[in-house]
Amino acid sequence: MTAMIDYQRIAPAPATAPRPVAVQMTGVDKFYGRFQALSGIDLEVRKGEKIVICGPSGSGKSTLIRTINRLEPHDGGRIVVNGIELDGSPGKTQDVRLEVGMVFQQFNLFPHLTILENCILAPRLTRGLSKKAAEQRAFRYLERVQIGSQAHKYPSQLSGGQQQRVAIARALCMEPPIMLFDEPTSALDPEMIKEVLQVMEDLASDGMTMICVTHEMGFARRVATRCVFMDNGQIVEIAPTEQFFHDPRSERLREFLAQILH
Amino acid sequence: MSALPIDLALAWDSLPAMFRGLTTTLLVTVLVLAFGLVLSIPLTLARISPRRIFAWPALLFIVFFRGAPLLLLLYFVYYGFGQIPALRDGPLWIIFGSSFACAVIGLTLNHMSYMVEVVRGSLEAVPAGLTEASEALGLTPRETFTWIRLPLAMRYGLKAYQNEVVMFTKGTAVVSVITVVDLTAVANEIFELTYDPFTPMLTAAAFYWVLVNLIRVVFRALERYLNRHLTAHEDRSKPANSLPQPTPVPSSIARWKASRSLGVPAKGQAL
Repeated sequence: MTAMIDYQRIAPAPATAPRPVAVQMTGVDKFYGRFQALSGIDLEVRKGEKIVICGPSGSGKSTLIRTINRLEPHDGGRIVVNGIELDGSPGKTQDVRLEVGMVFQQFNLFPHLTILENCILAPRLTRGLSKKAAEQRAFRYLERVQIGSQAHKYPSQLSGGQQQRVAIARALCMEPPIMLFDEPTSALDPEMIKEVLQVMEDLASDGMTMICVTHEMGFARRVATRCVFMDNGQIVEIAPTEQFFHDPRSERLREFLAQILH
Repeated sequence: MSALPIDLALAWDSLPAMFRGLTTTLLVTVLVLAFGLVLSIPLTLARISPRRIFAWPALLFIVFFRGAPLLLLLYFVYYGFGQIPALRDGPLWIIFGSSFACAVIGLTLNHMSYMVEVVRGSLEAVPAGLTEASEALGLTPRETFTWIRLPLAMRYGLKAYQNEVVMFTKGTAVVSVITVVDLTAVANEIFELTYDPFTPMLTAAAFYWVLVNLIRVVFRALERYLNRHLTAHEDRSKPANSLPQPTPVPSSIARWKASRSLGVPAKGQAL
């Protein structure tokens, strides 16, 4: 019941003026050698939307999300992020990365830096913040993910769930309008998944534009405005969350949902 | 004559000369290590660059100077450059005319080409995920190198570098062939004056031994300092699953070792 209310509150009303486009992918192709990882991806994400991408392993979910901040360069089609086209030039790539935060499956915290140093490095270097201002900002977001008291520890001293929350805070310290999550809970023990999902739901309710690759279908139902189903490097189905789970159009998605929802 | 092959009085008397030799050895070592460290990083970057215009000259340099025998290299630098009249009469003769400077140049060329492999291996050991995380945060490749890859590579490469430093320190003894009076040269001089084959050599050996162990202690302290992020585990019973961990032993080797210790014949071994 709450899922329905949330969804309707967040979903943009189609009749009124549409929100500005955050991410626009048109006919995106990606090859690894002769293997085609993405073929003809068309995806438009509007500001404030929460997109969940799911699908079997090897379907190109991670590759898709990684092309959005050009960790994987695409080989065909166009990707425009907040009005900046990823054309392969280092300057544009840099500009897009400043607009887009990313959270990884393996946390990827810098092991030689403390939690606080992890959080202030990029704001100081790329936003030109003073040490004091960067630390204030870092503490604000660390408090938000409830890890402020651990700021002077090293990543290896924290649990997986805590590390992932730090990784989210680190990305938030750049105050990006768009956040990408690449299977953020897949490397976590079950009891730690909840604390990370809680932080992500909190973010979602703040109006952040989120694109999230995840197998957490409960999270998808509660938070997503639209869901994307991928298979063999293609988008098979893309639909508002309600319809995605209760009225899937494609046979392939029906099979997939039957397998994972028991 | 004592039963010992060592003449203690001679050893005692030779100490001042030995210390002078040690100073030269230390000076050569420190200078070459400093030059080598500074120069090997850009050389490594050139070597691993995707651009051939950088990679090929670097590869040529490394192949040549790793292959060149060190003794001959020193001979060529010291005696060879003197054959070029333009150099002999030019302002650079202050450098090439000095046996000490020639020793430093020759050793640096050799040391650099070895260091490239140490630096390269260390840089490649930095997990790709950390580089990606840094780039995703909007750091430029150069900032990522300075703040993430290089500091981590230093930690991964410390053991290999320590080996290289110890080997190199002992190897500086070759500079005596181009008339630099280092610790070994002093020992040789005393031998030639006294015809005592043991005392000066063993005294010098003791000096080298102490020097190498001092290096070991320094590296140990450095390692502790750099790896404080890994040793800060006192308040946790089990190590957290943080990246990066040291590479585990490949399972096939582990199995092979286990089978050996249990007396089980290894795969393919006839009974």
